[in-house]
Amino acid sequence: MAGLLEIHHLCKSFDTIKVIDDFSLEVVEGTLCCLVGPNGAGKTTTMDLITGRIKPTSGKLVFAGEDITGQDEHVIARAGIGRKFQVPAVLRDLTVRQNLTVAFSRQTNPFFNLLRFNVPGLKDKLDEIATLAGLTHRLDERAGILSHGETQWLEIGMVLMQSPRLMLMDEPIAGMTEGEIEKTARIFKELRKSTTLIVVEHDMGFVREIADVVTVMHMGSLLAQGTIQQIESDPRVRDVYLGEQEAA
Amino acid sequence: MGNLYYNKTAQWIAYAAFFAALAIIPMRIDDDFLLNQLATYGVYGLLALSISLCWGFGGILNLGQGIAFGLGAYGMAMTMQMQSQTVENPIPPIMLNNGLDYLPYLWWPFQNTASGLIFALGIPTLFCAVFGRIMFKARVSGAFFAIMTLAMLSAFYTIILDQQAYTGGVNGITPPSPLRLGSFEIDPYSSVGYWVVFFALLIATVVAKLITQSSFGLVTQAIRDDAERVRFLGYSVSGYETVIYSISGFIAAIAGCLWVMLVQYVSPAQLDVGFSISMVIWAAIGGRMSLIGSIIGAFVIQGGQSYLGDAFLSTWLLFLGGFFILVVRFLPNGLASLVEAGLGLIAIKSKTATSHEPNGAKPFPAE
Repeated sequence: MAGLLEIHHLCKSFDTIKVIDDFSLEVVEGTLCCLVGPNGAGKTTTMDLITGRIKPTSGKLVFAGEDITGQDEHVIARAGIGRKFQVPAVLRDLTVRQNLTVAFSRQTNPFFNLLRFNVPGLKDKLDEIATLAGLTHRLDERAGILSHGETQWLEIGMVLMQSPRLMLMDEPIAGMTEGEIEKTARIFKELRKSTTLIVVEHDMGFVREIADVVTVMHMGSLLAQGTIQQIESDPRVRDVYLGEQEAA
Repeated sequence: MGNLYYNKTAQWIAYAAFFAALAIIPMRIDDDFLLNQLATYGVYGLLALSISLCWGFGGILNLGQGIAFGLGAYGMAMTMQMQSQTVENPIPPIMLNNGLDYLPYLWWPFQNTASGLIFALGIPTLFCAVFGRIMFKARVSGAFFAIMTLAMLSAFYTIILDQQAYTGGVNGITPPSPLRLGSFEIDPYSSVGYWVVFFALLIATVVAKLITQSSFGLVTQAIRDDAERVRFLGYSVSGYETVIYSISGFIAAIAGCLWVMLVQYVSPAQLDVGFSISMVIWAAIGGRMSLIGSIIGAFVIQGGQSYLGDAFLSTWLLFLGGFFILVVRFLPNGLASLVEAGLGLIAIKSKTATSHEPNGAKPFPAE
C-alpha cells in the first residue's frame, strides 16, 4: 500500500539553525502513527510544515499522490488534512455549536456561503460529534468558558467535523483526567478504522495503547521507527528519550 | 428560555419596530428642512451599518471608509452635474474656470445617468475588492490594516484636492439642480428624499442582517475570533475578508450617492480623516456587534452634534470625548450591550421563577 502522506528529505532552517534536518516519513493509510521525541526534537514544527503554517526550506510533501509542498493552509486543509493544535485553539467568542458548524467545512466558497442558511447534513453530524465529545449539554455555551479538558474535546470534535483523511493531533490528552484519557484512546482506536492519524504525544502509556507505528524524532531527524516493542528495546531511543523520561 | 437578545425572531421584531418608527416620522413632520436633516442621519446610519458589518462582524477595523463614501459621493455629484449640462453648454463650469475647454475622459461615463450611477457605485466597490485583495492576501490585519486604510484615504484626499480642473479642488462640485431619474426629480427638501434614504437603509440593513445569519457570516465571525485557526478548517481567510470589506464599501458608496442627492454638494471634506474616524466612533458607541446598535449610535452622536453642538459649541467635543471614554471603559461593546445585559437579567429572573417551584416542592431526602 502506498503512503497516504509521504515526507521526502524535509529541511527547515530558521536563520542558520536547522530545525528539521533531512526528515523523511511515510504514513500508510489506515494506521495510527505516533510521533514522539524529546522537547525541541521538531515534532510540532513537522506538523506546521505538513499543514502549511510554515514553508519548508527544501524537501517535498506528498499527500494522497499530490504535491502539497508550499501550499497555503486552507488548500492543504481542503485536500483532507485536519489538525488539532498543541495549545487548544477553539473560537472562544463563538458557542460550541458555532465552533462545530464552522468546522463542518464542506463548502468553503464565500459567495456560495452568502446565500446559504441551512447546511445539509449538518444536524446529524453535529449531534453525532457532540455526543462523541460529550458536549451535548454545552452546545449553546461560549467556547471560552469551557474547562481545559472540554476545550481539548471541542477541538478534537472540530477536526472530526471536517472528516479529514488525515488527522494530526498535537498532544491531545494534555490536561485530561485518567477517565478522559481512556475515552480518547478508545475513540482514536475507533477512528483508525476509517481514517489515518498522526499523534504527537509524550505519554508513553497512551502511545503504547494506541500506536500502530511509532516514529521517534531527535534533533530534527528521524531516529527510529517501528512498533512500540521495537522502539522500547532500541538502545538509541532509550538513550535520548526514554531514559530521560525514566529519570524524570 | 434563554436571553431574548440572541433570539433571531426577537431580533427581527426589534428591526421591524425600529423601521416602523422611522417610517412614522415623515407623516408627523411638515418641516422640509428638518426632514432633509433627518434623511442625512439615515445616510450616517448607512455608514455606521457598513462599519458594523466590516469591523463588528468581520473584525476588520477600517479607518478609511471615507474612500468608498467619497468616491460614491463624487460619482453622484458628477452625474448630477452632467444632468444640468446642455448641448449648447456641455462643459461644467469647474473645468472652464480652470482653463479646460473639453470634457476630460474621467467625466465621460457620467454623461449618462444610468452609467454614472453604475460607476458611482462600482468604482468604490472595485477599489475595495482590489485593495482588500492585495492587503488580505499579504495577511495585513488589525492595526496595520487600519493604518493602510488611513494612508489610502489621505492619498485620495490629496489627489482630489490637487486635481482642481477635474474635481473642483477644495470647492468641490455643487450640482445646480436636484437628481433626476428619467422625468422624475427627487426633491431633497421633501418627504421623497427621506423615503429614498429610508428604503436604502431598510434594504441595506435587512441584507446585512441576512449576511450575518448566513454561513458566510458565521465564518467571518470565526475569522474575527481567530483568523489563524479558521485557515486550518479549509477557508480562505483572505477571500472572506475581501468579500466582507467590499460589501461594506458598496454600502458606504450608496451612502455617498444618497448624501450628495440630499445636500447637492461634495468636497474633499467628505474624505477627511476625522469624518472616517467618526464613523468608527458611531459604531463603537452604538455597539459594533449590533447592526441596529451602530445605526442608533450614528443617530445619537450626529443628533447630539446638531442640537447640543449648537448650544455648547466646542464644549460639545469635550462631552463627546468623555462619553466615548465612558462607553469604552464600561461598555466595550457599546450601548447595545446594555440591552443584552438587561434582557439577560430578565432571562435569569424568569428562569429562577419557573425552576423555583419544583425545587421547593421536592423535600430533602435526609429529612
